[in-house]
Amino acid sequence: MKVLVIAEHDGKSLRAASLSCLTFAQQVAQATEGTVSWLVLGSQATGVAAEAAKFAPVLLVESSRLARPMADSCAAAIANVAKNHNVNLIAAASTSFSKDVLPRAAALLGGAMASDIVRHEVTAEGLLFDSPQYAGAVTATVQLLGSPQVVSVRSSAYPAATPAAAPFGIEAIAMEDATLASRCEFVELKTKQNSRPDVTEARIVVSGGRALRNSADFEGLVGKLADVMGGAAGSSRALVDAGIAPNELQVGQTGKIVAPELYVALGISGAVQHLAGMKNSRTIVAINSDPDAPIFDVADLGLVGDVYEVVPQLIERLQSR
Amino acid sequence: MKILVPTKRVPDTDQKIVASDDGSRVNVEHIPFIINPFDAIALEEAVRIGEQRGDVEVVAVGIGGEGYEQPLRTALAMGAQRAVHVRCDESLDPWNVARLLQAVVLRETPQLVIMGKQAVDDDANQTGQFLAALLGWPQATFASRVVVEGDRLTVDRETDHGIETVRLPLPAVVTADLRLNEPRYASMAGIMKARKKPLDVIAVGDLPVAIEPRLRVISYRSAESRKRGERVKSVDELLDRLTQPGAALHKRG
Amino acid sequence: MTQMNTADVIIIGAGVAGLSTAMQLAGRGAKVIVLERDRVGNGSTGRAAGLLGQLRGKAEQTRMLVDGLAIVKELEKLADVEIFVQTGSLRIAETPERAEEISALVEMGKSIGFDIDHMSIDDVARHLPYMRTDDLVDACYCPTDGHLQPAELAAAYLKVGKQRGVRCETNTPVTGIIVEAGQVRGVRTAAAEYFAPVVMNAGGPWSYLNAELAETVLPTAAIGHYYLTTRPDPANPVDRLSPAVRDRELRIYTRPESGGLIVGIYDAEPDRYDMGKLPADFDMSRMKAARDSLQVAQLIEATHHRFPWINERTPMTITTGIMTFTPDARPFCGEMPNIQGLFHCSGFSGHGIVQSPVIGLIMSQLILDGHSTYDVSSIEADRYFDMPGYIDRRDIEDRCAAMAGNYYGKVERPTVAAGGQAAK
Repeated sequence: MKVLVIAEHDGKSLRAASLSCLTFAQQVAQATEGTVSWLVLGSQATGVAAEAAKFAPVLLVESSRLARPMADSCAAAIANVAKNHNVNLIAAASTSFSKDVLPRAAALLGGAMASDIVRHEVTAEGLLFDSPQYAGAVTATVQLLGSPQVVSVRSSAYPAATPAAAPFGIEAIAMEDATLASRCEFVELKTKQNSRPDVTEARIVVSGGRALRNSADFEGLVGKLADVMGGAAGSSRALVDAGIAPNELQVGQTGKIVAPELYVALGISGAVQHLAGMKNSRTIVAINSDPDAPIFDVADLGLVGDVYEVVPQLIERLQSR
Repeated sequence: MKILVPTKRVPDTDQKIVASDDGSRVNVEHIPFIINPFDAIALEEAVRIGEQRGDVEVVAVGIGGEGYEQPLRTALAMGAQRAVHVRCDESLDPWNVARLLQAVVLRETPQLVIMGKQAVDDDANQTGQFLAALLGWPQATFASRVVVEGDRLTVDRETDHGIETVRLPLPAVVTADLRLNEPRYASMAGIMKARKKPLDVIAVGDLPVAIEPRLRVISYRSAESRKRGERVKSVDELLDRLTQPGAALHKRG
Repeated sequence: MTQMNTADVIIIGAGVAGLSTAMQLAGRGAKVIVLERDRVGNGSTGRAAGLLGQLRGKAEQTRMLVDGLAIVKELEKLADVEIFVQTGSLRIAETPERAEEISALVEMGKSIGFDIDHMSIDDVARHLPYMRTDDLVDACYCPTDGHLQPAELAAAYLKVGKQRGVRCETNTPVTGIIVEAGQVRGVRTAAAEYFAPVVMNAGGPWSYLNAELAETVLPTAAIGHYYLTTRPDPANPVDRLSPAVRDRELRIYTRPESGGLIVGIYDAEPDRYDMGKLPADFDMSRMKAARDSLQVAQLIEATHHRFPWINERTPMTITTGIMTFTPDARPFCGEMPNIQGLFHCSGFSGHGIVQSPVIGLIMSQLILDGHSTYDVSSIEADRYFDMPGYIDRRDIEDRCAAMAGNYYGKVERPTVAAGGQAAK
């Protein structure tokens, strides 16, 4: 199979997730005696192309119209390259960029797409993909009918690719301005470096309960751990009632319902009213000094200990990684 | 102005969802069906735009079997003026849903389509983008704020790197993210009025679209049931478990 | 028979009723095993608002609630947790009939020395600036009322109970009740048998199914209930100690919750549930209201009337759950004549949280002493035993649902208060 991997970058360097996607592509190409190329789209992307070429051959489309990755222009460029190069499989890491662009490109190429795949299998009948559904409760094994096939790949499912001994070639592709025209106008990007995400949208939520004695401790333990984990801070109702945590952080039956990849419950006993707000989380970690606390029954990993001792250690280890 | 809101009927995924023993399907018989939560957000946004502007017709669309009347009545109770039910008993993949929606859009000629960013059953996150491409319309996915000004939209989009603001001309497709709004519960007046609002049924055969599957599900399997209640003895052991490959704190790249 | 699965009392159901009784029994040295089908407090206990209005239609009921509060205050010390939030409570009237109801209540309260009095509409408006008051004709205020926090209460019963030796097994549904020659011997689960001379059925909405396991009719029904919780609104702050409000004309009650307001409704035509038809792994905490639920719409409409700033667009959470109603809205506490040793403790009709402290004490007395220091005549389990019209499930459901539907709607006339005087 001829596999095209869409390289995601910030204008300066490749995003790590794309290297995991490349591993998927290399595995498919190897099993099908095919080839892999990157497709780098950008306005001044020769640096990124050079970095990408350490791993695989690069097709490069450079245009001022690609300064911002707008869905309509990127999708048109991908479809154009896929058609002209007889690509059989298009892959990109599952990120907000590819979730926006890739389905649009797939639609221009016939609509055979699988989302967020976590496993693949090369069979006599063709490629099979595992695609999580129902928020991960069920995994579907699917086959795409039609060509080219388009997949977004969950980057945590594949290890990052390693560079080759010598760099591969970079082929510049000229594309007409009309193809790359976008009808969307970029206004601004507000980065969220300095603010914690909202509990309902975060991949990781660190929540505090009754064990936290005051606002300063809540911030210093729950808030700090959330920051070093890159997640949101949450709270049980008890802390909100006590004025220790702000209202909008409350997770639970009468607060917000969350289902992050990782939920860390610090000093939360685990009454059903709290569980109602977080039990669909992918992984639940509980730290509580009471070994009988019901939170341990729903936790995947429990550590019996005083949050005032355990959390500073956790923060320190994570910071020194 | 006319806004089209496609709404999918989905099992409530807050319930326990498991695959059948033979893997041929997902067991949803005992599970209540609801309007896809992201579509409810899309509908709420359309209704709010209507409440602000006054000159807006919100049309809810559902594609599927008999059960689709229920989410469409919900949509009418929440404030849609009209509903269209494309009656189709076949199971459809996102590609064919998008093509049928394209046919409905060509009939209804809305200026704006707002729909959920994904359905919570198949989690595909494809249909909105497919539809935009098929129509040749600009798209703004994962919207957390939508402002209509004249024949232009300003949309805040949730991306991995922050909130991106874009401006685009109508007609356009917008997909709704979680933080766009909190959808309402219907009022008594809304529920009463919904009973009298038109719900048109179109047979799928009456639309100029031949169903061509692009995605075949071979089998389903349930996620490995969690081993709950496991204890670790130390901070080190906890971190080891959380940073191993596949775990939430595993460093990538 | 293994020694491990033998106890003095087996309690079915780890909600507040079962856990409170377990704690009291263990306090008197009894060996208690609590078996719970799901998790602790994951039935009605986990969905309750916990409002405590101590003044009831009968003096003995009031005495029970007042004494229950003393038990809670003791429990707060033992478990080191705040359970009771003393917000005070208001009843409001918008019609002459409701005003009479309030006058009768105040009169009765005073007759037994209870701290309650009329409150002027101006004072009501000062207390609750976020509430509409222009249509009120009277109100009464009780400063000692408030609410019990259900999560904290259940956790405290369990904590103190465990300290006293109570064993609680979760995810262990009881599948059979063992009865020999009219005497209960124990219960069966999928994995084991448990033996005790006394079994207490505290299964909440499931309790009638538990009774059926022993071929006994318990005339309770599973009735749906809804409340909303608004998100904190800076324009309409709700103080943590704002008084609870009961507006029987609109069928609603309210109390503060985490900066927002809980408003619940006693529907005129409530949902009914057939507990036997729900999936075996039914989890009450996963219940969810439809976006176009008629009950929710009625709740929001009634709420909007009293709190005009709340409407269908207000950010809120809807909580829906199942409560256990009886034909007279009073619980069933005690044995039935047909099976010795099988005690029932169920049917709290929306008041299980606040009744549980004293009910645990009463049940422990009934089980260990055969009688209670309280007058339990109005809550005896056998008051409908073998009575025509209270045997068929459908009749029972109709009667309980009618009671639930009338619960707030009907004008209440407190009549003769046992141990007190005629209220009006």
